[in-house]
Amino acid sequence: MKKPGAAQPGTPPPGAEARYDVVVIGGGVVGCAVLRELSRYDLSLLLLEKETDLAEGVSKANSGVIHGGFNVPPGSLKAGTNVAGLGLIYGLAAELRVPHRKTGKLVVALTDGEKPRLEELKTQGERNGTPGLEIVGEAGIRRIEPLARGRWALYSPHTGIISPYEFTVALAECGRRNGARVALEAPVESVEFRDGLFRLATPRGVFAARRVVNSAGLFADEVARLAGIDEFRIYPCRGEYLITDKDPGFRLGLPIYPVPPKDDPGLGIHITPTMEGNVLLGPSAEPVGDKRNTASTRTVMDRLKAEAARLMPELRKAPFIHSCAGIRPKLVDPRGREMFRDFVIEESAVRPGWINLLGIESPGLTAAPAIARMVVDMIGAKEDLRPKAVFDPGLPESPRFAAMDDGERKARVEGGSGWGEMVCRCEHVTRAEVEAALRNPFGARTMDAVKRRTRCGMGRCQGGFCAPRLVEIMQDEGVPLDRITKRGGGSRLFYGRIKR
Amino acid sequence: MSERPCADPLTCILCPVGCELEVRRTDRGLDVRGNQCEKGIGFATEEVLYPKRNLATSVPVRGSETIMVSVRLSDRVPREMLFPILAEIARLRPEPPVRRGQVLIADVLGTGVDVIATRTIGSERSPRGDPPEV
Amino acid sequence: MDNGAGDDRLKTARAEGRGLPLKEGAVPLYDDDRIDTGLPLKEGAVPPYDVVVIGGGPAGLAAALGARRAGAGSVLILERDKRLGGILNQCIHDGFGLFLYNETITGPEYAERLAEDVGREGIRTETGAMVLDLGADRLLRVNSRSGYRLIRAGSVILAMGCRERTRDMIEIPGTRPAGILTAGSAQNLVNLQNLRIGNEAVILGSGDIGLIMARRLTYEGMAVKGVFEIMPWTNGLERNVRQCLMDFGIPLELSSTVIEVRGRDRVASVIVARVDEELRPVPGSEREVRCDTLLLSVGLIPENELARRAGVELSPLTGGAVVDETFMTSVPGIFSCGNVLQIHDVADFASHEGFAAGAFAARFARGELPAGDKVRLCPGRGVRYCLPQTARTGTANVDLSFRVTRPLRACRVTAVGRKSGKKYFGKKYGRLLPSELQRVRIRPAIEEDLEVACHE
Repeated sequence: MKKPGAAQPGTPPPGAEARYDVVVIGGGVVGCAVLRELSRYDLSLLLLEKETDLAEGVSKANSGVIHGGFNVPPGSLKAGTNVAGLGLIYGLAAELRVPHRKTGKLVVALTDGEKPRLEELKTQGERNGTPGLEIVGEAGIRRIEPLARGRWALYSPHTGIISPYEFTVALAECGRRNGARVALEAPVESVEFRDGLFRLATPRGVFAARRVVNSAGLFADEVARLAGIDEFRIYPCRGEYLITDKDPGFRLGLPIYPVPPKDDPGLGIHITPTMEGNVLLGPSAEPVGDKRNTASTRTVMDRLKAEAARLMPELRKAPFIHSCAGIRPKLVDPRGREMFRDFVIEESAVRPGWINLLGIESPGLTAAPAIARMVVDMIGAKEDLRPKAVFDPGLPESPRFAAMDDGERKARVEGGSGWGEMVCRCEHVTRAEVEAALRNPFGARTMDAVKRRTRCGMGRCQGGFCAPRLVEIMQDEGVPLDRITKRGGGSRLFYGRIKR
Repeated sequence: MSERPCADPLTCILCPVGCELEVRRTDRGLDVRGNQCEKGIGFATEEVLYPKRNLATSVPVRGSETIMVSVRLSDRVPREMLFPILAEIARLRPEPPVRRGQVLIADVLGTGVDVIATRTIGSERSPRGDPPEV
Repeated sequence: MDNGAGDDRLKTARAEGRGLPLKEGAVPLYDDDRIDTGLPLKEGAVPPYDVVVIGGGPAGLAAALGARRAGAGSVLILERDKRLGGILNQCIHDGFGLFLYNETITGPEYAERLAEDVGREGIRTETGAMVLDLGADRLLRVNSRSGYRLIRAGSVILAMGCRERTRDMIEIPGTRPAGILTAGSAQNLVNLQNLRIGNEAVILGSGDIGLIMARRLTYEGMAVKGVFEIMPWTNGLERNVRQCLMDFGIPLELSSTVIEVRGRDRVASVIVARVDEELRPVPGSEREVRCDTLLLSVGLIPENELARRAGVELSPLTGGAVVDETFMTSVPGIFSCGNVLQIHDVADFASHEGFAAGAFAARFARGELPAGDKVRLCPGRGVRYCLPQTARTGTANVDLSFRVTRPLRACRVTAVGRKSGKKYFGKKYGRLLPSELQRVRIRPAIEEDLEVACHE
């Protein structure tokens, strides 16, 4: 259903100023959830993302945990959206065919002295509406997860795991299929309010909108300031992770968390399995000065391993194949004494029509579907929202060779197709999948974009084998050599050919 | 007597024994020690006085920037000729088909040494039935 | 394409217009494969291959030849790259063939010569074909553009080679910019795709690949600021230190390492530091080296994913399979050779292993390799590992490979019976380096567990 003049499905047409009912700023999990939710209604929608792909901020660098809702104070938005999101997210993930699993979770107390804290969490959770919480002893811990250690544990049966970046992209893709548009590499550089419209200037053009949803994550304070809203400040707080190989030598069934340390701006260093079988160790929590400082540090890597050894000794000798870091967008200075600040989910008083979503750190992933509903309610309170006659809430299956059985593989490879050409040997990704990833409707064509969509490069050789092949395929798919980058910007891989 | 070692212990590479040679400049010329055979003296002398090297690089075939013919020299050349020869080779754009061993530049820069292809490209069907690469 | 010598079965099969006769008990598993007769298979006639070789590099090509020359009827090489040769295709430098062909030639030449032999001797090859799974029953799952197939083999030879140790495996702190590559990846991009991977590089690790790339980059106008090696000795061949670094004035710093990477989008610099005897950075020795590329040459790891899937026992000392003197692994009928078995420094030796393993694999496929009691060959003092790790009791003339733990001068290597104390082997060496794989022959029949040790 191509509109005449459209450059590419899903992206806005080039040229003169385009006008939208709602523009969402920020392509993380919250922004994309909002986009999808709004796409149920008769609204022209655009999402502006400053990076070369969706989920480039904190949405790709977190534990991927669907939280039960007992870690947050009752009565807060964090608690409300967490529990409401918990009720929505499993169905949503199934509809969107995003890999996820209700694994349950254990918060372990290594000593009797920590047990009261577990009971506090349980009480808090029950007040928030978290279902199924129970305190178990050593026998219970062994029954639930033989690899976990502890004297007592809080068991949350409805906690789960999900791939956060796949979820983010799926949300946006669903929104797009229902008419929303997405523009990448479109940072908002200035905001003007004129004739009842917000005018957002980006390098890709100026976009006018009746309403704006600011879900710019780490940069939401700066974006708000562009609109003349000065009251917010984001304090970046980095969390480093170590990631094991897919078969680390043990099978971990669910996330294991420690009792949250009192002075920790996060939830403590925990151990989380992923849907693929890797195990995440982390995150740490240290304030950093620069919002983009995702460097790994020696001291933290050592600390992660020491912590892990307390919770699960097997992890000590696990083969770690990757490290990464995410930055939490905190609204409170983690160096200060005040630990808690709630989500900001509100229409600005000074800029009506401008909705701010700020400080969406944990449990933001779980809360995203509920936050999206809140945004719809906020807009719905001010204007008539007409549901579309046709809304497709889900996505078609995205085939993955590695997950197919012999029969399906045979059928796919019939006729000499790209399903027969292996690109990533560690993760068994075929050329057909890489090409499909490069042809994504948002126009994300970096190495990392392919990696997150196909898993190419996420295996134990970390791209050593597949990167040269990926480079060839990207050129075949029309990406010019000097535009082959790791993740856009200056992250170019090459400086031309040696001999021309 | 002014004897100084003029090269760090030099490992002879002519055979797998790999004798560690000590070479000193004396008034009578070079003094080589540590060799287990005669060839070692020749090797050390050459290595210290007029070192020779082989060279390997690759050039694209005509009309392509990515199909590469790897090349080497048919024999070693004086070390100081390496970069001038590289510059000569850099101008090559061989026309396929190219046969392994084919001389691409004869007597390069008057050294008496040829630049030869070390790979076969775009020939008639190779023995194992693969299609030509080009 | 006929290899006339002793190939009656193939000739008969061709004459009768069918593939090789079905082995007793074999189950037809695929229906549209073709053997190199060029004739279509009759319905129901399915040739399981006598020997399937996984990997068409220096070891795999040799293994196929070894199998064929030992009389295997149908031999298949499955190579996942576009052409045969494996890692040889990107090793355009010379130094290959000294032992196999009595001259030094480049990697591609070496590969082509072996591949031509392979073609001449009636060995079937498939490129662009990757083995995704291997069972202990020697059932392979293979994917290629020709189709996704299940193939059963009389014996399987693992020759998949190795992969490189990565930045994250050695946990270099810092940012994750573009411009960090393993040396082998860089070699592929430079030599096979003509790509300028950077302007100024720092190389971590003095392994041969790093040294070779230092020279390669210099040849092509990419500056190399230095090579840093964490050990107090170099890892690569002496010859390469001379020809790749000293010739170009590229500094080599031993007992040093990279302790941090900087640069947001692209590498901007690295911090290097000296290390002490425990390999820990020495405070105060840090300095920043500006560069836009970091090449890592910090070790090779045998790529044994398939071996794991088949339940093959791996040795933590080599990263490769535990094998006996026939190169057979702990799983009957699965053999291993080349870099996937142990990391080699000389491709010719990988090929030697291949020839031997191939011959034994052919015999196994004919039912000619008897099982038997085994003795163990264990590394002792001064020896990092020795291979094979086991041998059939009573076997004489066992060829043993080993590496020492550190550089040793004026030393003596012995193989001594653990029970009897009898000396099965002894040899004096002027110098032994960990970077050089040693090969010796134990002549007497081995009747007990042996310990191989090196004393200064």
